[in-house]
Amino acid sequence: MGKFVIIGERIHCISPVIKKAMEEMDPGPILQRAKEQLDAGATYLDVNIGPAEKNGEELMKWAVQTIQAEFDNVPLCLDTANRKAIEAGISVYNRAKGKPIVNSADAGDRIENIDLAAANDAIVIALCSKAGVPSDNDERMMYCQEMLERGMELGMDPTEDMWFDPLFLVIKGMQDKQMDVLAFIQQLSDMGFKSTGGLSNVSNMTPKDIRPILDSTTVAMAMYCGLTSAIVNPCDRRLVETIKSADIIKNNALYADSFLEI
Amino acid sequence: MAFKRTPQKFSASINEVVIGTGDKAVTLGGANTFPLYTFDGEAKNKVAIGVEITDEGFDASVPGIAEYYAGCEGIGAIAKKASEMPGADFVVLSLEGADPNGANKSVEDCVAIAKEVADAIDCPLAVVGCKNVEKDTQLFEKVAEALAGKNVLFVSAREEDYKGIVAAAVMAYKQKISAESAVDINLAKQLNVLISQMGISPENYVMNVGSAAAGYGYEYVASTLDRVRAAALEQNDAMLQMPIITPVASEAWAVKEAVVSEEDFPEWGPREERGVEMEVSTAASVIAGGADAVILRHPKSVDTIARLIAALM
Repeated sequence: MGKFVIIGERIHCISPVIKKAMEEMDPGPILQRAKEQLDAGATYLDVNIGPAEKNGEELMKWAVQTIQAEFDNVPLCLDTANRKAIEAGISVYNRAKGKPIVNSADAGDRIENIDLAAANDAIVIALCSKAGVPSDNDERMMYCQEMLERGMELGMDPTEDMWFDPLFLVIKGMQDKQMDVLAFIQQLSDMGFKSTGGLSNVSNMTPKDIRPILDSTTVAMAMYCGLTSAIVNPCDRRLVETIKSADIIKNNALYADSFLEI
Repeated sequence: MAFKRTPQKFSASINEVVIGTGDKAVTLGGANTFPLYTFDGEAKNKVAIGVEITDEGFDASVPGIAEYYAGCEGIGAIAKKASEMPGADFVVLSLEGADPNGANKSVEDCVAIAKEVADAIDCPLAVVGCKNVEKDTQLFEKVAEALAGKNVLFVSAREEDYKGIVAAAVMAYKQKISAESAVDINLAKQLNVLISQMGISPENYVMNVGSAAAGYGYEYVASTLDRVRAAALEQNDAMLQMPIITPVASEAWAVKEAVVSEEDFPEWGPREERGVEMEVSTAASVIAGGADAVILRHPKSVDTIARLIAALM
C-alpha cells in the first residue's frame, strides 16, 4: 500500500483572505497557504473556488497555473460546483506529479462529475450519498454501487481513479453513527477501493482545542479500517503526526528516526 | 489463452548520480524497474564496476593480480593499469594505510597518493577511507580539497562522521559521497534524511547499505537490498532512492575461503580460484539485489561481472 494521501483543505473561498485573493486574482495569499500546507505534509492541495458562476473557468485556470508553477506541479484537487470551471482547470493542469482530482461527485445531482472525470482521465471523489445523510451502510453501499457502475461503464479504473467518500459525520449530534462510518470504510477497503473524505467534519462545533484530538483519533481508527486519504488541515500538527505514525505502523512507509520530519 | 505480459510500472525512479568528468564520467542509478527487470523497462544506466587498488598498490599475494600489474612502477602506473582493466568503469583508491591502528600514514602522504592516482587516470575515481572516524574526516577533507573539480566519490560517510565529511567533501569541494550503514534499513534511511537536512540535493550522494561475502550473513544484505529497492519504487520513498554502491572485494577477499592457503587446505584447491569465486558470486548477488555499482579487485572477477552485466542489461 502507498502512503496515506493528505489533501490540504485550506485553499477555500470560505476563508475571507482566500475569497478576496480569488476575487482580485492576487496570488500572494493563495501561494502562502499552499506553501504552509505543503511544508506541513500535504500531498494534494484542494482548490475550492466556491460556486464561481461568473468567472469560474478563468479563475480555476488561473489558480491551477499559479499554484503548479510555483510548487513544481503539485497535484491538485479541483473543487467547485461549476463543471465548466473544473474542465477548464484540467485543460491547463500538469500531470507530472499526479492526476487531477474532481471534487466531487455523488449519486444524486452531481453524478455527472463522474462523466467529467472519466472524459478527462481524472480521479473522482465519489461521495456515497444522494441527498442528505445516508441512513445506514446499506444505503451508502447502494450509492457506491451506482457510482461504481457509472464509472466502469465509462471505462474508469475503479480501484485507482474512484476514491469513495463515506461521508464523515459530526460527532456532536451524530455520535451513534461514527462506528458505521468506520465499518463502511472497512467494506470499501475489503473491496479494494480507495477512500477519502472531509474528515474534520467529525469535530465540527467542538471547542478549538478539542478538534485536533478528535480528528487525529478518528484518522487513526479510520486508517486502521483502510482509509487511504483525507481532506484535512495539514497544519494541524497532531493530526499529521498521527497520520505519519499510522503509515509507519501499517508499513506504508519505512521507519527512520526522523520520520516525522519528512 | 495467450499469456499477456503486464510490465510493472513505477512512477518513482532511482536518482542519478554522476561521478568523474568528461567523456568517461559514469552515471549511477536511474532505474525505474526492479534490478535486471529489463522486461519491465529499459535499464537507463548499466551497473558500474570500480577496480580497487590501495595506497600500497595491489595485493601481490594473489598471482593473477600480481601478474596483471607486473611492471607497474609507482602508484600512478598501477592506477592507470587498473583503469585499463577490461570491464572497469572507474578506479577505487582504498586508503587503508591511513588507519591509526595500522600503518598510520599521514594525511599529507595520502593526499599525495590520491593526487598521483587522480592525475594518472582519465576515468572517475572513488576514494575509500580507513574506517577510523576521526582520520577519515581529516583525510576526506584534504583529499577533497586536493582533487577539487574531479568529481570524486568518497566512500563512505557514516552516522558518526557524516557531518564533517558532507561539509568538507560535498559542500566545500563539490565532490560526491556515499552514505554507509551496516545492513540496517532504518539507519540507511535515517542517514539519507540527515544528509538531505544539511541541504544536500539527491544528485550528490549514493549509499552503501552494507555488504557481506556470500555465505557470511549475506541473507541480511539480500533482504536489505530488496527492501530498499521496494521502498524506493513501490512506496516512492525519496529517502531511499539513492543509487547503491557495494564494496565487494574488501568483503570477499577477507573471508576464510579466500584467505587460507592451499598448503593448509589442499582439498579446497588454489586460493586464487576461491577468492575469485567469492568475489564473483557476491558481486552477482548484490547486482541482482539492486547495487548500481560494485567494487572489485581481481581482473578475472571484473571481466566475469562485466560480461554478466553486458548480457543482462
